Amino acid sequence: MRIRHVVAAASGALLVASLAACGGGAAASGGGEKVQGGTIVYGHEQEPPCIFGGWVQQAYISRNILDSVVTMADDGSIKPWLATAWKISDDGLTYTFTLKPGVKFTDGTALDAQAVADNFAYWEKGGNSTAKVSIDPYFKAARAIDATHLEVTLNKPYLPLLQMISQAYFGIQSPTALKRSDQLNCEDPIGSGAFKVQEWKHGQEVVLTKNPDYTSWPATAKHEGPAIVDTVRWKFLNDAVSRYSSLATGETNVIYDVPTVNWKDAKTKYDVQQYITPGKPVSIYLNTVNGIFTDKSVRQAFAYGADRKAAVEAAFHGVIPYEGNPSVSQSTPGYNASVAGAYAFDQPKANELLDQAGWTTRDAAGYRTKDGKQLAVKFTYPAGSVFTTEGATVLQILQQQWKQVGFNVTLIPETQAETFAGKYSGPKAYDAQPWYWTSPSSAILWIVWRPDTKESPNGSNSAFYNNDQLSTVIQAGNSAATTEEANAKYAEAQQIIQDNAPAVGLYTQTTSIASARNLHDVWLEKSQGEPVFADAYFTK
Amino acid sequence: MTTAVLPRALSVPSWVRTARGALLKIATAAIVLVAAASITFFAQLLVPGDRATAILNQQTGRAQQYTTAELAPVNAQFGFDRPLISQYLDYVTGLFRGDLGTSYTQHRPVTEIIGDQIGPSLVLTAAALVTAWVLAVGITLLTVKRRRAVSALGSTWEALTASLPPYWIGVVLLVVFAVQLRIFPVIGETSARGTVLPVLTLAIPLAGFLGQVTRDEFEKVLDQPFITTARTRGMSDTAVRLRHALRHSVVPAITLSGWALGALLSGAVIAENVFGRPGIGQVLVTAVNTRDVPTVSGIVLVVAGVYVIANLVVDLAYTVVDPRLRAS
Amino acid sequence: MTAIALPYRAALRLRPATVVSVLVVAVLVVALIAPGLLTTRDPNAIDLQSTLLSPSWSHWFGTDDAGRDLYTRVVYGTRESFGIGLGATALAMVIAIVLGFVAGLARGFVDTVLSRILDVAFAFPVLLLALLLIAIRGPSLGTVIVAVGIGSAPGYARMVRGQVLHVRQAGYIQASHALGHTRWAVIRQHLFPNAMRPLVAMMTLGIGQSIVWASGLAFLGLGVAPPSPEWGALLDAGRAAITTSPWLEILPGLVIVVATLALTSLGRTLQHRLEGAAR
Repeated sequence: MRIRHVVAAASGALLVASLAACGGGAAASGGGEKVQGGTIVYGHEQEPPCIFGGWVQQAYISRNILDSVVTMADDGSIKPWLATAWKISDDGLTYTFTLKPGVKFTDGTALDAQAVADNFAYWEKGGNSTAKVSIDPYFKAARAIDATHLEVTLNKPYLPLLQMISQAYFGIQSPTALKRSDQLNCEDPIGSGAFKVQEWKHGQEVVLTKNPDYTSWPATAKHEGPAIVDTVRWKFLNDAVSRYSSLATGETNVIYDVPTVNWKDAKTKYDVQQYITPGKPVSIYLNTVNGIFTDKSVRQAFAYGADRKAAVEAAFHGVIPYEGNPSVSQSTPGYNASVAGAYAFDQPKANELLDQAGWTTRDAAGYRTKDGKQLAVKFTYPAGSVFTTEGATVLQILQQQWKQVGFNVTLIPETQAETFAGKYSGPKAYDAQPWYWTSPSSAILWIVWRPDTKESPNGSNSAFYNNDQLSTVIQAGNSAATTEEANAKYAEAQQIIQDNAPAVGLYTQTTSIASARNLHDVWLEKSQGEPVFADAYFTK
Repeated sequence: MTTAVLPRALSVPSWVRTARGALLKIATAAIVLVAAASITFFAQLLVPGDRATAILNQQTGRAQQYTTAELAPVNAQFGFDRPLISQYLDYVTGLFRGDLGTSYTQHRPVTEIIGDQIGPSLVLTAAALVTAWVLAVGITLLTVKRRRAVSALGSTWEALTASLPPYWIGVVLLVVFAVQLRIFPVIGETSARGTVLPVLTLAIPLAGFLGQVTRDEFEKVLDQPFITTARTRGMSDTAVRLRHALRHSVVPAITLSGWALGALLSGAVIAENVFGRPGIGQVLVTAVNTRDVPTVSGIVLVVAGVYVIANLVVDLAYTVVDPRLRAS
Repeated sequence: MTAIALPYRAALRLRPATVVSVLVVAVLVVALIAPGLLTTRDPNAIDLQSTLLSPSWSHWFGTDDAGRDLYTRVVYGTRESFGIGLGATALAMVIAIVLGFVAGLARGFVDTVLSRILDVAFAFPVLLLALLLIAIRGPSLGTVIVAVGIGSAPGYARMVRGQVLHVRQAGYIQASHALGHTRWAVIRQHLFPNAMRPLVAMMTLGIGQSIVWASGLAFLGLGVAPPSPEWGALLDAGRAAITTSPWLEILPGLVIVVATLALTSLGRTLQHRLEGAAR
């Protein structure tokens, strides 16, 4: 469960919802003359503690500063970036990357194979724990063969490797710069990207200036050459009302995360893009080792008992899609659409399952009981930036419906401090807890559902659900020889999870941007949804 | 330092005593500050969950538990593996060298974090306080002890503004004056025009409070014999109000201001949030959320420092507005 | 104020504003004790067919995203909001009276030590007290009460201490001492009643302020857990919709303002009466 980590590929992750009407499109289309230079004022939401790191809030900015080895195209395929080509050995254990020659970091250090190998070493020793967890335990070593050839070796075949390293967590930094203090690497990471950090006015904005010597744009770029604008002012505007309003008053040119109440209005006035995050959608983990949800029928009754689809539609004003598949979201390559339809709203079915499970009596308040114990659910959720007011409304609607079938659900909002301190993360801490984890691959299944054992604990398995068959199937998917074979295994894994209901689907983690109509070619990166400003330009 | 609600009366004025008193004040002020920072340091350790877990989760946007082996490097890096008492002693000795520690999350010295943010906070707080005074005194002067309707209008206005929930007034001002009328920018930041709405957000409710206490005092003072005497000497109503009554009526409001300054400095977080303004209020809330112990303690130290200074100024202000209080 | 002015003044205070305030508080008390008399609906009943309706005859305050009737929620929210107001103010007063009296009366070494402790308490940012407490105990109705109570105690303590110092200087106290009354007797018979008098009115003001305070905590996501219709929580839930469904933010805000205004107005009337009676 991680806050917004990446993306995936499959079908239409990226719904370019509008881009209609007036000034859309390339230079000079729709009238208006392409302007060289200028300043983009971007209204983002949350200010990260550092510009580089393993949280998506850090990836958002670092994507514009650091280049990665490979990138992901809109169709989910992997395209060249710093690597112009790569070769995978027949046994799937050795990847040989050919790097673009002559690339330099903005501090003058050469971006060669040794530099990339140093970055792998940096992530592995804790420089970025999300990068580490995305390739462990498959990754073995990275070494430079010569200046432009890098060899990455694995312990076991790992088909999603390329998707994983297309995430901005794997942005390549100058090894010279990494030797500086923690403070400097936090505030001013040095990459080879289209922009570099000019100044971070904490609490206000990060000012990015273009790298005039940029040579290493990805194959997915919309133009070749350094950034067209001179400056991006990356502002932190927490309050949704002011963030959205700032677009109308012209104080920003583009904003992140249009409030769902304003979505309809935004579509008529701006160019909007919606990004459905791949990986694990927002779904509710059920505690399978403690409390009422140790019983599979009770878990299933919980899934049947409330109209999750209607609740999501109402609370998110029809803007964000419902997701019935609890383990993989609809924009992820390898998504199993057929499992998403399971457990459609059916209260008689829920009642039947609960009756069979022995929860036959009801107390004065109408909640079911068994042997004098109430059918009570301690439902904790990370309130605030992870779970918005709209998400909380979904839960309040569901709470009322669960009450009808006899569940007494107590909603407990966790403060950010409690969440991060792990107050609600042990098997004794909750019965149900919703989270999401973004990832560009169905390999997210392994990160989340890897069995949690004494020898090899998995803190990410928040349902505490250990299933050896499931584990075997996911590993077979990760180490499959072809994508088709892998996806078949992943589909099977999703089926196993849905059948056993250790988690209940809710909605997709969805973000959006809205940009003024005189600003063009701001696009959302495929693997994690970061806005990319290297190709953006204004028209007059 | 004293928290004078009413000035302390020295029965025998004496320079020796004053000098000794001043030294004592400075010494005790230092003790107060260190105590405030120390209490904060320990109080944060009472928060459930350990710091290393919070740091790791924060770095990765997760919420899970880790194994001892996973936590070990973090504990070593930040020195959490050392006895608590030595961590604390390090912190306190650092304070006397002007070192407030290094943020767990931003890896910057806390002095730098606060240095970045204290300016906008002080500007906002001071401007709000001044605006509140102008509003409160102005409205009081115009409406106190006038025709019943006028007086009622004045006191209703004060009670009304003192009742406004802070977020609510902020967002209403934002929508009306920035979004609809576009008189002020939505993203205030630190520009002068952008500071107007955040200042009003804080000043309007505060003006209500100050106005209420000033009005009460004003009414009492206007009933006093020396006012009647002044009037019989033929002094005009305006002159009576300005020269005699006002001076005596503002004493409680001055007391309240000393306290308000400290409270506003950290409590401005809502105005900062709504108007996209930097400031230590936001930093404090984030730091508490991320268990950034040195940052939280550092901000407390600074806010307490401002409070202490404000109250010294308040003490001084009493003697200026009311010479009778200088020594009795 | 002279004795002759008193009847006039008392009459002045029984003005329409006072009558309206009494009426408002009466309605609030009904909502507090028997919310069912003011509405027939359930505050948590959802109706996904009628979400985000603007105010109308059947939904006086409109409905929210889940189709809940906002008027009903406001009515039922009275209990929790007033619970916070009363609880927090009572707690703050108890702390304030103890601290304020001790600080106002102590002498010598005890005075020095206590004054320094109080200085620390006063210098501590009130917001941080609340934040830390909630971080330690987790957000809940009880925590909000304690947080707001402790958070506002130093302010009251300062007033109590001021009042004690003020009364201590008064002629009749000095006279009692001169007459040979014991210290304790003077405190009990004269100091306490006189120093306490303004606090009665202060409590009424405090309830309103505590409700406003709690709404600030709700803004920071530290309020009472959903689906509670506590007023601060309603404000927090309505804020995103201020430009599209403004009633969700404006109406609960107005309710807080009107309730606080009525309490303040009553409190001040009371204050003036009591002060009048004292002279």
